[in-house]
Amino acid sequence: MVLKPPTSKTDPVATASRKPLPPWLRLAWPQPGAVDRVRDLLASLSLNTVCRSAQCPNQGECWSRGTATFMILGNICSRNCAFCGVDTGVPTPPEADEPGRIAEAAHLLELRHAVVTSVTRDDLPDGGAAHFAEVIRALRAGCPQISIEVLTPDFGGQRDRVARVAEARPDVFAHNVETIPRLHRLLRDPRASYTRSLEVLRMARELLPETCHVKSGLMAGCGETESEVMDTLADLYAAGCDAVTIGQYLKPRGGRAEVMDYVTPEQFAQYAKKARELGFSFVMAGPLVRSSYHAETLMHHACECTITHAGNNISLPPANLA
Amino acid sequence: MVFSAEFMRLFPGAKGPRFMGKSVEITLPDFGGGTAETLEAIVSWWPVEVGDGLNTGDDLLEIATDKANFVVPCPCAGVLMEKRVNEEDRVRVGDVVAVLKTQES
Repeated sequence: MVLKPPTSKTDPVATASRKPLPPWLRLAWPQPGAVDRVRDLLASLSLNTVCRSAQCPNQGECWSRGTATFMILGNICSRNCAFCGVDTGVPTPPEADEPGRIAEAAHLLELRHAVVTSVTRDDLPDGGAAHFAEVIRALRAGCPQISIEVLTPDFGGQRDRVARVAEARPDVFAHNVETIPRLHRLLRDPRASYTRSLEVLRMARELLPETCHVKSGLMAGCGETESEVMDTLADLYAAGCDAVTIGQYLKPRGGRAEVMDYVTPEQFAQYAKKARELGFSFVMAGPLVRSSYHAETLMHHACECTITHAGNNISLPPANLA
Repeated sequence: MVFSAEFMRLFPGAKGPRFMGKSVEITLPDFGGGTAETLEAIVSWWPVEVGDGLNTGDDLLEIATDKANFVVPCPCAGVLMEKRVNEEDRVRVGDVVAVLKTQES
């Protein structure tokens, strides 16, 4: 669907709880029935998705395309980050058959790239690392052709836990640093830290073969300056990341952190350009970019991929660069 | 657009195929499940008026959630007969937002 230019002057939600949304945060609602296949399949296999738990605005688009990002180890997080829409509380015990159900869903959805993330599980002795490894193995066994991306918590910065996941050989190991160091205390749970997140990425780089990607993600619009973003990108690159995503922070229902500003598509393009200059081989930056948005492009087009407007306008680079 | 008997007597031409279709209630389609429980959308505005002809995929309605603005596409071709929600109303997945008269019988 091609959207006509916005002509609306009103944004009723703005008056209630937030600033008016800029014109680039405007998407197409899915057509009737478009998301039903993914929704019903995930429901029948009792699987959680971060799409739904985090109230992702791209859910309609991605589910209409037949993709979703699995969220394992339950949908209750042991941490309470101010930016996040996932519920906090006492998490439920891991389900031993979940890896099999993930593999079945990936097979039935005919995914060529599966992204698996989780809630943080400080309550588990291994932080959930073994469960991540089981999911990777189940996907390898059930869908041998698939590329696998894991987006992990920080595992308390413990090397043996990161190693446990790395041993299962994901194609992409991702861990989000989320924000610049100055805003960590404000936005992330006190148990998370910038240096620890960088350390996890560094461990992953050391533990994984060269052919695997190490990826991180950053939110913009939380009050950071351009130079702070550049410094963080440099830190990520130095830690061994070769892929990065940068997207607009959007306050979820129940979220505590306010959006400080809506970063323009031009500014995102600037971030993408700088990230490429730093040496990242894969950059995705844009208002509606999320950590796993069009994640398959990393494996299948690994190169710059800037989204300058609403998600529908993803601009993949020319084939000769892919 | 409902025509009275008096109107039809005076303007029999209005009884053409354009006005003889089936009334279809247009609901807000599912977004994937989360929306009905955790997200409420608010009607931002109507880009169309009652009586306007619409094609499949035309912009029918704009709604806003906490995170983004959305354009709801018209699911079928027809004439907009009735707006069931007003600007600034809260809407949820499955709510009837409009009534369309299609050309199918």
